[in-house]
Amino acid sequence: MLADQYFLIAHQDRTGRSRLHPRATGLGLAAALLGELILEGRIGIADGDLVILDRHPPADALAHDILDLLIAQQRHREVRTWLAFLSQDAEIRVGERLVRLGAVDLITRRRMLSTEVVYMPNSPEQRNAAAWAPARLANLLVRGIELSLTDRVLVGLVAATGLTRHVLYDFEMHRQAFQSLPSAVDALPGDLRDLIEYTEASVGSVLTVGRR
Amino acid sequence: MTQKDPFEPDIVARALAKNRLGVPSVVFFGVAGAAPLTVIIGAISATYAIIGSTAVPIAYVAVAAILSLFTVGFVAMSRHIVNSGAFYSYISHGLGRVVGVGAAFVALPAYSVMQIGLYGLFGAAAANILAAFGVITPWWVCAIAAWLIVTVLGLLWVDLSGKVLAVLLVLEISIVLIYDLTMLSHPHGGHITFSSFSPAPLLTPVAGSLLVIAIAGFVGFEATVVLSEEAKDPKRTIARATHWAVIIAAFMCSISAWAMAVTTGPENIAATAGEHQTDLVFFLVGKHLPTPLIDLGYLLFLTSVFAALLAFQAAVARYQFALGREGVLPAGFGRTHPRTGAPLAGSITQSIIAIIALSLYAVSGLDPLVYLFAWMSTIGGLGVLILMWATSAAVIGFFARGRRRENVWRAFIAPFSSFLLLSVVLTATVIGFGELLQVDGSSPFQWLIPVLYCGVALIGFCWAAIMRAGRPEVYAQIGRGTDGRLSLLNDNDFPKPLHADPVGARSFPY
Repeated sequence: MLADQYFLIAHQDRTGRSRLHPRATGLGLAAALLGELILEGRIGIADGDLVILDRHPPADALAHDILDLLIAQQRHREVRTWLAFLSQDAEIRVGERLVRLGAVDLITRRRMLSTEVVYMPNSPEQRNAAAWAPARLANLLVRGIELSLTDRVLVGLVAATGLTRHVLYDFEMHRQAFQSLPSAVDALPGDLRDLIEYTEASVGSVLTVGRR
Repeated sequence: MTQKDPFEPDIVARALAKNRLGVPSVVFFGVAGAAPLTVIIGAISATYAIIGSTAVPIAYVAVAAILSLFTVGFVAMSRHIVNSGAFYSYISHGLGRVVGVGAAFVALPAYSVMQIGLYGLFGAAAANILAAFGVITPWWVCAIAAWLIVTVLGLLWVDLSGKVLAVLLVLEISIVLIYDLTMLSHPHGGHITFSSFSPAPLLTPVAGSLLVIAIAGFVGFEATVVLSEEAKDPKRTIARATHWAVIIAAFMCSISAWAMAVTTGPENIAATAGEHQTDLVFFLVGKHLPTPLIDLGYLLFLTSVFAALLAFQAAVARYQFALGREGVLPAGFGRTHPRTGAPLAGSITQSIIAIIALSLYAVSGLDPLVYLFAWMSTIGGLGVLILMWATSAAVIGFFARGRRRENVWRAFIAPFSSFLLLSVVLTATVIGFGELLQVDGSSPFQWLIPVLYCGVALIGFCWAAIMRAGRPEVYAQIGRGTDGRLSLLNDNDFPKPLHADPVGARSFPY
């Protein structure tokens, strides 16, 4: 799913640490979760507000949970508010889903003064699968293969949160792909394009302040 | 937009508020930028020495009043533009994008130059302190040491955390109060005089110089609006905190300036200040206080200058980041370090400019306090004054196109009066700028600096015109700061078209 792919791209497969500023990663994951609901036709975006289109619960437990939250909290409708809210624990939520899928393990590490809990690929197979996530995307982009709608949103989120350089790390080889990025995002349906723009805006303001 | 519904727990608002800033943290952020101890020890003594006017205390009071008026409209407008970190985004929203880019081009050198001036103050003060321990170093060694640390911290995007700033600030305020009480309890000739608060000198030509120096002392308080999206209650927290930051800084500066004049006698303050420079306060209280309190004062002075250096480094980097992200500067400025989120290009550029300026001063052997600190902060202060003046015009222009539920005082009266007052101050400053820099009548510095600012603003206007012709889609986004394509909050007075179904309308159809 969208958020799973984004999680694997946004974290180092060897250490499980976030490749971005933690708040940028959180915003990317939150946007991916909202994106899943949009892709399933459950919600839409109009004028910067989330709109519920279909109340039937999605098959995925996490998506169901998020949709329920959106239904329950009626006073908040702004996309930015929801991005900020979901970003606070998106990492844990998506991490848990990846554990259920068997894609990562929950690892507790002792640090100097504290313990650190990370969701990271642990076995060679898991690590292979995790490393494949960005490589698959780069491959699609470089060969100019027609992207699926989900992958186009993923590309948009990768670009909006600042992971483009990680996915397309070889400037010479990936030059073509760089140029095809904007068109991949621009061709998205309005809701999803709005979602990506709101994500980019939120990431920008979070980074400007620089707070953890 | 929120709807009131008392029956359901507001999970979202509660979760968001947990990690957000209250009024005190924002005040600390603003006051640390304004760095009152730096102003008291560095700027006030220099003002007394250079200008020789006894009206310094009333100048700070007057400036605080003007800036409070300015803050009213400024903060009101910040509620309506997303990501309102920098003056130029206000100006492009209020007065148009061409003027906005011009303002950005004025802001970049202004903040940059102010920070470079602070290096001079830090270097001179640190060298003095080391000399007291018997270590004789030139000022530029200390300045470059500070530069190194600031550069590294800037690249790591480490801001002093709220707690460190809070502790330092509380200590600074206490030490200033102790010093002030000491000076006031030992008045010259045995009685306290209030003549320094007489507003009469503000009507004389010297007022322009006094006011611009005082405004330079407040620069940094406006950074509070950067935190508007991090505040617990975006509508109120920032407004209150910004007003508090102005009031605290004004109170500390004017009381201290007054206390200095009381203890030396108003007629002697200029001569004493000229003799002792940045040591003035410590010399005045040194006779009455135990040594540890004096040493603590020196230490806090250094930390305060250092905090201001960091704050300005961040401010410059933030400006360049925002400009790079929206395409006014090359896109490289808009990139951040992936992991830390530090705006690398902006930080590095400022560091490089600073080290070049410091090297030039070190080689030429000019006095760091007069030609680096006093000159640079006055020049930067003029730039920021121009920005504030343009911003208050922008606030009027912005609200003239719709009041957006702000009352008449916030939308029109306060911005208009602050615009008038700032116009007066700006005119007086530009006319008397040569005297401010202490140059004689034939020197090109009499007129050069304001002309240079006009020049960079013109370059900005031209650049905006070029962008409008060549890259109209980028031009259309100017003034939206780091926000990219989305800018104005949808908060006009018209009701929104009805959606299919607002999120959370609580009626399950199944």
